[in-house]
This record gives sequence, C-alpha cells and structure tokens, in this order.
Amino acid sequence: MPDKHYKRPKNLDLLRIRLPIGGIVSILHRVTGVVLVLALPLVFLLLQQSLRSPESFAQVVALLSSLPARVLLLGITIMLAHHFLAGVRHLLLDLDVGISRRGGWLGAWLVLAGVAGVALIAAGCLFL
Amino acid sequence: MNAMSPRGSGSAHRGLGEWLLQRLSALYLAGFTVWLVAWLAIAAPADYVAWKAWMAAGGVRLAFALFFLNVLVHSWVGMRSVFLDYLKPLWVRFVVQLLLAFGLLALAFWAAQILLVEARV
Repeated sequence: MPDKHYKRPKNLDLLRIRLPIGGIVSILHRVTGVVLVLALPLVFLLLQQSLRSPESFAQVVALLSSLPARVLLLGITIMLAHHFLAGVRHLLLDLDVGISRRGGWLGAWLVLAGVAGVALIAAGCLFL
Repeated sequence: MNAMSPRGSGSAHRGLGEWLLQRLSALYLAGFTVWLVAWLAIAAPADYVAWKAWMAAGGVRLAFALFFLNVLVHSWVGMRSVFLDYLKPLWVRFVVQLLLAFGLLALAFWAAQILLVEARV
C-alpha cells in the first residue's frame, strides 16, 4: 500500500546538482527558444517597416545603427546561433550520432565553440 | 474508438506528430537561416529599391511564406512542451497556452499582411 507521506528524494538543491555540459547546452536551447519566440513580433515589425516605404526603410536602418540596437542584435544573434547549433546537435542525437558519453560531451563543447565563433564574427560585423 | 486507452484522454497518439513536426520545421528553419545569412553576406541589398525588389520576387516571397508557417508551428510545439514541463496547475497552463495560441494566430495574420501588402511592388 503506497504511503502518501513517504518522502521521495526530490533533488531540487541546485547547489548539489551538477548538470553535465550536455545538460547545460540542452537547457540553454530551451531558454533561447523562448526568448526567440518573444523576439518574433520585433522581427515582424522591422521587416514590415523596412518594406513599407523609402522613409520607413531609412528609419529602420537608422534605428538598427544605434548602439543599443546593435547590442540587442548581437544578443539575438548569439541566442539564434546557440538555438541553431544545439538544435542540429539534437537532430544528430536523434540519428544516434554523438550519443555516447564522450560523443555527448564533445558535441556540447562543439556547440559552445561554434556559438563563440559566431559571436566573434557578429561582434566584428556590428562594432568594427 | 480507444476509450480505454491508458491516458484516458485519447491524446496518446498526438506526441509523435508533434515530435515530427518540430523536427521537420527545424530542418526548414535551419536551411532558410543558412540561405538568408549567405545571401546577406554575399549580396546584401544596397538600398530600399534593391531590398524591395528582392523581397517582391516570387521565389523569395514563397520562401518567406514557408518560413512564417514553419516558425509559427515550431514556436507552438516548443512553447507547449516548455509549458507542459513547468506550468503545473492545469488552469494556469490552459490560460497561458490560450494566450500563446492567440498570439501566434495574430502573428500569422501579420505575416500574411506583410507578404500580401508590404512585400509586393
């Protein structure tokens, strides 16, 4: 007979859980996904305004050239790069590629290295 | 048909469809992203006229239409799986999913407006 008051281990002590690197890359895939969905209306608005008229196109260009907008663009680019590369990793895991303990570790670090590379290129394009 | 299914709600078959939709839309979105970034790197439009002309081309608008469709499907499945994991009281999840559905539907109409009005010459 199941005991309602049996204390199951919950392991929610975040200081005691050590998430492996694959788990960190995976949870970041979720976080970046949610943020990218929230950024969709902004993308729609910029696309629409850039196409509406020469004047609104100039406004979008001016807005995107401002420093805060470039910082925001860099942030969105980094999150998109992470979501993209971690997503490719998940698709490969579905195909049993990189599914081993070592493969999982290597794939996760390759994703992070790729994100760092994209971040450097994007920062160079936006700020140099 | 299967009233005595273990889940009880008859939704036991839906998971596979969503799993597949998420991956198929991911493939399109990945290809679209690579194509768009490559185009911007090689031949970024110099001015409004060039940008407008590129977007007005039939193939480009079709590619964007498919992008909108895939990104909304991908958003729905992804956000739903996040809600299923973290929003525990059923009524909270119901309300938030309803808001998401309305939000994505609004984005779909907005996308149609962009494709049929602003993106045309």
